[in-house]
Order: sequence, then C-alpha cells, then structure tokens
Amino acid sequence: MEYNGGSVIAMVGKDCVAIASDLRFGNQALGIASNFQRIFPVTDRTYVGLAGLGTDVTTLRERFRYRVNMYTIKEERDIEPQTFAHLVSSTLYEHRFGPYFVEPVIAGLENTSSGSKPFIAAADLIGCLNFAKDFVVAGTASSKLYGLAEGLWEPDLGPEDLFETISQTLLNGVDRDAFSGWGAVVHVITKDRVVTRTLKGRMD
Amino acid sequence: MASAEGGAYSYSLTVFSPSGKLVQIEHALAAVSQGTTSLGIKASNGIVIATEKKSSSILIDDSMIEKVAVVCPNIGIVYSGMGPDFRILIARARKSAQAYWKVYGEYPPTKVLTQEIATVMQQATQSGGVRPFGVSLLVAGWDIHRGPSLYQVDPSGSFWAWKASAIGKNMVNAKTFLEKRYNDDISLEDAIHTALLTLKEGFEGQMTEKTIEIGVVTVPTVEELQAETRGGGTGRPRPTFRKLSEEEVKDYLAL
Amino acid sequence: MSSFNPYTQNGGTILAIAGADFSVVAGDTRQSEGYNIQTRYAPKVFRLTDRAVLAVNGFAADGNMFVKKVKQRLEWYRHAHAKDMPLRSIARLIQTMLYSRRFFPYYVYNILGGIEEDGSGAVYSFDPVGSYERETCRAAGPAQSLLQPFLDNQIYFKNQQPAPGMSHPTHLPLQAVLALVIDSFTSATERHIEVGDGLEMYIILGKGRGLQGLEGVKGVQELTISEDGERIFVVRRELKKD
Repeated sequence: MEYNGGSVIAMVGKDCVAIASDLRFGNQALGIASNFQRIFPVTDRTYVGLAGLGTDVTTLRERFRYRVNMYTIKEERDIEPQTFAHLVSSTLYEHRFGPYFVEPVIAGLENTSSGSKPFIAAADLIGCLNFAKDFVVAGTASSKLYGLAEGLWEPDLGPEDLFETISQTLLNGVDRDAFSGWGAVVHVITKDRVVTRTLKGRMD
Repeated sequence: MASAEGGAYSYSLTVFSPSGKLVQIEHALAAVSQGTTSLGIKASNGIVIATEKKSSSILIDDSMIEKVAVVCPNIGIVYSGMGPDFRILIARARKSAQAYWKVYGEYPPTKVLTQEIATVMQQATQSGGVRPFGVSLLVAGWDIHRGPSLYQVDPSGSFWAWKASAIGKNMVNAKTFLEKRYNDDISLEDAIHTALLTLKEGFEGQMTEKTIEIGVVTVPTVEELQAETRGGGTGRPRPTFRKLSEEEVKDYLAL
Repeated sequence: MSSFNPYTQNGGTILAIAGADFSVVAGDTRQSEGYNIQTRYAPKVFRLTDRAVLAVNGFAADGNMFVKKVKQRLEWYRHAHAKDMPLRSIARLIQTMLYSRRFFPYYVYNILGGIEEDGSGAVYSFDPVGSYERETCRAAGPAQSLLQPFLDNQIYFKNQQPAPGMSHPTHLPLQAVLALVIDSFTSATERHIEVGDGLEMYIILGKGRGLQGLEGVKGVQELTISEDGERIFVVRRELKKD
C-alpha cells in the first residue's frame, strides 16, 4: 500500500453516489507523478476505484475490462454494480495466496424495479466485500478518511452537497497523509449523468 | 449392414454424410421421439412445464423417478428421451449455476444457463469417443432481465425460445393442440389446465398425481423483489421455480 | 526476563481546542491493553490549577505518575511564590520534566490547555521527550489520525474558501467548540476500538468571561477553587461501550 501510495473514497447520497481519489503516484517517499488515474468507468453508471500497488491497479483494470466485456456480450446487458462487486471479489479471491495488492472501491447506481438505487462497496486485497450504506474508504489515508467521513457525512445529500462533502473529506484526509495527495478527481454519478471534476490540492 | 442404417457415415459421429447430415444426431432425435411427452407453456404471469411419468412395470416405485428437475432457485428443466443422459445434464447444469453464483453472487439468467447446457450438448456432437445426448430439454426460468422465459434444447445443441412447445412421443399432435389453445394473455392457472389437457390427448392409461409431474415459474411481485436481501442472510433468493407437490397435482387433475 | 519491556499502550484519545477567551480539553475514559478493556472509567484529563488542565495519553502508569509530579512541582511553586504558575510557565516546566527523562522517557503524549496571563485561550501539545508548541487545536492518541484532519477542516478551515470579502474566524465560539468535541469523540468511538465508554470535557473560561456557550449544556459541574479568577468546569458524557 505504501509503495506507491494513494487513496480512494466513495459515498452515498440521495439518488446519487460519488467516488473520488487522489492523483499521486509515488515511489515510497518520492513523488513521481501527479496525474495517476486510479478510478475507472465500468459501465456508464458504475465506477471502480483501485487503491494500492500501481502495477496491480493497471493489471486489474485490464482484467476487469475483459471480464465485464465478456459479461456484456454473453448477457446482452450492462453489469449491475452489485454483480460487478461480486465479480471483483471472486477475481481477487482467485489469488488468495498470492494476492494483488489492491483495495477496490465500487460506486454506482443499481437498476431496480422502481428506478435506480445508490450502491457502494469496498473489498480488501483478497476480495472480502463490505457493502456499506454510508461511505467506504481505501488506501494509505484510510484512517484519516474514516475520521473525516464519520464527522462530515450525513444521509440524503443531493449531488452538489455530496460533491462538497466527498471533496472536503478527501482533500483534508490526504493533506495529513504523506503518501496521498497531489490533486484529486471526483465523480458524482446521478440518474442521467456523471459529473467529473478535477480538484487542485496541496502539492507538498 | 451399415448401409441400412445410413451408410459408413453413421459410425463416426464427427463425419458429415454427403447430403450434409450428421446421422448420429438424427438417431439421437429418434431416441427423443420415443420418449414420453413433455411440454411447456409460457403464461402471462408465469410458465408451466409438465411431463408424463410412465414406468415399464407396476412393480417400480415411481416416487423415485424425477423428470422435472430444479437447477437453481429460478430455473427448472423437463426432458423427453433417455433418463440417464438427462441426469448427467442436470448435474452439469447445477454445477454451472453454482459456478455462476460463485462469481457473480446471483443465479444465472435462463438464457445464459440454457446456452451453457446447449454448449455441453453440442460438444457431444463433435468430440471423439462420445455420443450425442439422447434428450431434448425444456428449460423454464425467471430472471430480472428477461422475465419468464422458456427454451427448448435439442441433441444437436441448438436451442430456441418458445411461447409453448412439446417434445417426445406425441410432440406433433401436442404442438397442434397447443397452437389451437394458446393465446398471449393466458393465465398461469389456465396454462396448467391446458398443459394437463394436452398431455391427456396422447396419454396411455390413467392420469394421476403419480403419473404426472409439473413445475411452475412464478413472476415475483415488486414488493417481493424489494424484500429480497441480497448480500445478507444465506444469499439464497426466494425461489421463482418450484415443483408442484402430488397433492397440488391431484387438485389440478380433479378440476 | 532478558527482554522485559517497561512500556505498554493503554489506548484512549485526547483532544484540546482553544477559543479566544476559553479553552476546552477533553478525553475519553476507556483504558485498555491490547483487546482487553481494563476499565471504562480512567480519567485522562486533570485539573492542575484554576487556569490549567492537563490531558495525558499513552502509557497510563507513566501518565498518572507524570501528572502527580507536575502537580507536586506546582504545589512547590505556590509555596515559593504564593500564586499559581502561569500557563506558559507550566508548559515550559513540562518540557523540562519530559526532557530530563530523555533516555528513559515517560511514554506519554501531553496536551495542556488553559488561559494565558493575557487572558487568551491556549493549547500546548508535547511529544514524549518534551518538544512542544502552542496551537489552536490538537488531537493525540490512537485516534489522532481520525480526528486531526477533521479539526484541520473545522477549526482551521483548511481546504475551504471564505465567501468573497469575508475571512475565516481565527477562533470559534464555545458552543461550536463543544459540539465539535462531542462529534469528534462519537466519530472516533464509532471507528476505533480503543475509544469509547465515557467522555470528559474540561472547560476553562477566562477571567471575567460570562458563561455564554455553556447555557443549556446538561450536567455542567464547576471545579473552580479561588474567587474572581478563571473558572473551570467539567462536562461528562456517555460514549458507546462496544
């Protein structure tokens, strides 16, 4: 986790979800890049964020893309976030005794009979899923993010308030973490669109 | 000797005859059409699959015979043809459903499972040292994506979706009968009665709860779907496919 | 016996916030060793004088002994000078006492809160060997990583832009501070196993300051000894015990 650094967080709002991460890619204490994307779209309303070892982030992203594409073709439909979470979990557990050093975070909107429902989940590096109802965190700043989110998050935030809450949580969390920071990216997923914003942060 | 059965091409199942046929597959279909009749009807609010359970001797304990099989909570299958071959396919289908559950945390949609079984059956037409499966299947299931769906799979590995279909001994007559009786907004209750009536057409002997097997797919209500707690509890969803008990079959026969 | 370890960690978390003319010092009351809870009520915050409160966190035995020794030095000071030691002098005293044990330290993180001679609220934070600085707020202990960034955001307004033509306040009113302290500890209790059971908040009010911000707060208990000076209050709250 500390080799390349980086953190991810996801939060539930009212009819929306948000997922955000920092942009630092480091080599232990040395900062290498400030534009490392670790959040990827899975479908147009489901995103996955991968905190952890950079090489595994890249490898897993390709693996998930392969498995999701196969699913989409076979089932003739988009994968649901919950189904994708299980896919992530089983992919990681296949490597139970030589794991990818990655903590995934999933955020999306589920299709239900009555419209859509916010969904978030996180897993540890061997795929143990955590279906939280409020927020999930991962990465080197996770303890800081827990403290902030526990204090700042409240139920039923609209897309704009959710954006503010997740941004403040992330920025203040990574500012107290030497391995995370160097800018941030936030995705807010609503029924009809995804708003992506890149945030400036402290560069120290 | 060989020529009487279709010439030299009939020995190797992987070799086409000059007319473009794989005669072993045709023989397998012949085995199916000797099997007891099975049928399936898709109703507006569910599906019924039914079959005749005929034993060659009154000394056989027919409570042991199972011709309608549950694959997973949302899918059931009935067959016509060779019982032992069916058993193998059901075992494969159940394994496949559980493997799907292990990866995705939910049971497969009917089409995906049907495709999986069809692949197994196709492989038996192209592999060395095996023969095609001597069964046709009717796969009935429900999933959130496509709702209730009914598929037929043949020994060749080809499959189609049906509104209503019949396989086995009386399939031509049964299909004609179904064509006359079927309409798009038939209810599940009516479909069950139509199924029994269709079977009755070609039935030899007495139709009783011991000689009939019925499976039904019911469509869950919105409330039932919302009440489902996925990711918690046993992870086992409320079944949408179930077999009717002997008592239930008896009640339908009495009406 | 060859590898006897004289230290242990006893969990819990402490927190202090300074206002313009008051100071709040708080700590939870759980004391644990590993996964074992030794007691649900072990105070970590102590009244030193009418204008100084000390919170200690880390190795409880060292903490208690250290507070005892500080109190003793303050008593001697009173005998010699016939007055209470000023806050900044207590801070310097603590540094000296900690550094005197540079090679066998008290395994304790200290936070000193109170009122300076100029009447301003102050918080001093120390490391185990006496490095110290005056701050507006500080959290220490196992849940420091959960609380400090929250305080950065809510007290120092880090990563927040003031509205055009406005500026962020340098000090918050008492009511807001108490709400933040309670929120902080409920959050830490929720996510950290070593935090919980009870919360003790010491409130030190500057000389002549009214009680504004304390009205309506349930269970306020006054601890002040001398008249016409700074006043000290304690507020106790239950925290989750799981």
